[in-house]
Amino acid sequence: MSGFEVLNGGIQASIQDLGRVGLSSVGVSEAGVLDEYSYNLLNQILQNPYGTNALEILFGGVKLKAKGEGVFALSGAKADITLNNKKIEFYKTYQLKDGDILNIGFASKGARIYLGVKGGFEVKEEFGSSSVSIKEGIGGSVISPKDFLKFSTCRQNYNVLLKEEYRVEFENVIELRVVKGYQWDLFEKKEREKFFSSTYEVTSQADRMGYRLSGEKILSSVGGIISEGIAYGAIQIPAHGEPIVLLKERQTIGGYPKIGSVVRIDCFKLAQAKQGDKIKFKLVSLDEAMKSCKKFNSFFREIVL
Amino acid sequence: MKFEVASVDSLIIYFGNTIGEEVASRVRGAFFALNGSKEFIELIPSYTSLLVKYDFIKYSFDEIVELIKNRIEDSKESKVESRSITLPVYYGLEVGLDLEDMSKSKGLSIEEIIKIHTQKSYFVYAIGFAPGFPYMGEVDKLIATPRLSNPRGKVPKGSVGIADTQTAVYPRLSPGGWNIIGRTPVEMFDKSYEGFSYFRVGDRVKFEAIDKDEFIKLGGEL
Repeated sequence: MSGFEVLNGGIQASIQDLGRVGLSSVGVSEAGVLDEYSYNLLNQILQNPYGTNALEILFGGVKLKAKGEGVFALSGAKADITLNNKKIEFYKTYQLKDGDILNIGFASKGARIYLGVKGGFEVKEEFGSSSVSIKEGIGGSVISPKDFLKFSTCRQNYNVLLKEEYRVEFENVIELRVVKGYQWDLFEKKEREKFFSSTYEVTSQADRMGYRLSGEKILSSVGGIISEGIAYGAIQIPAHGEPIVLLKERQTIGGYPKIGSVVRIDCFKLAQAKQGDKIKFKLVSLDEAMKSCKKFNSFFREIVL
Repeated sequence: MKFEVASVDSLIIYFGNTIGEEVASRVRGAFFALNGSKEFIELIPSYTSLLVKYDFIKYSFDEIVELIKNRIEDSKESKVESRSITLPVYYGLEVGLDLEDMSKSKGLSIEEIIKIHTQKSYFVYAIGFAPGFPYMGEVDKLIATPRLSNPRGKVPKGSVGIADTQTAVYPRLSPGGWNIIGRTPVEMFDKSYEGFSYFRVGDRVKFEAIDKDEFIKLGGEL
């Protein structure tokens, strides 16, 4: 058995996979990786089965020491990473030797860095997933110094490097596609137009639960609604009028009106946004949104390494 | 039944516009009719609605709406047993953190508040906010109390609370703004339970006052 000894746990780093399924009727949030694009690419590079867990690192600042041998790779936000003080690249597999020091610096672009190992980390699953649901305390907790992240010993590194064309681009203004839904009808036409023509900014209240944005205030004809189930990407408009986009660790039900939902594959882009980043919303049809999601799903099977 | 898009892969069905047992029973009927089928990935029943996350790779919105309508229609005859559950609660002042304030604001003695809270049975409308957190209603108007203007950072596990006409139990230590009137020794969320949650949507719950000794004997912690 090999693994990483945690020397520095950073701000918030936790093991995540695709999340928990089928428990939202009893109030358990789905949790799981916030940026599935970077995460899926990572598993592709490592030639891991779809849904193998990885370490999701918020902003960086993580230092790890290898025990034994393994193969790892990184994806997601851009940051300076060193292996034994030598700079290494993203989207490339590396061999780990006993005593190696992996140092993950702070992100210069994007917010979440993914660290994966060949075969995934060996953690105890809870309710069918190894995702840490931070607020609920399900699936473990964020990593902290002296933790040991186990993985299978691996000595076969094929030196895979992902082609440039597949890598994540970080845009200055992030455009999020939205399907109308829920209480759409409770918003007047001019309020909807305001919503889609404004540029919003990510606030400091942005975490795995959701992103609160600041900018043009949107009015709805009601302040609250009877509490109901909240979909991934749902855009809540509370009484203060500034939108909140709900992500993986959202609560399962809530009573704020919602104008619609961000298309799930665009939620991955939002999860890489930091405080002060600019956000714009674009209305698309349900049909169009479904098509692009289907394309996303088949995309990973077509990647040639 | 009114179907609305909720997101690219989910829809929400509205069964009515008002909170009540009639609408809630239809939500519950639909929930049990759809529960367990692989086409429906996630189901969230609440007071008047049911959120359905579905397999959008296989089904279009219109197709899934059709399928849901048929499933609900087919299950109309089958009745899912509604359980009656008695929940022991210790209504002592050291655990009923807001009993004294409520007594003042409502003009009732603490004994009267306990009597009113324990005399009727409540319907479980939804489970959410936190794993196993049951939203129950409706409490007598005499003890209905708005949420605290200043929510607590830490509400102890097992706390029984009131918010307006709703009552609930906090499954674990968490922040919250409900008025706390007592504490139950019963676990709300546990891996050993079938479905993990102590309560299911549609259960009928009656609170039963117990004394401190019994609370401790049943595993309660002060």
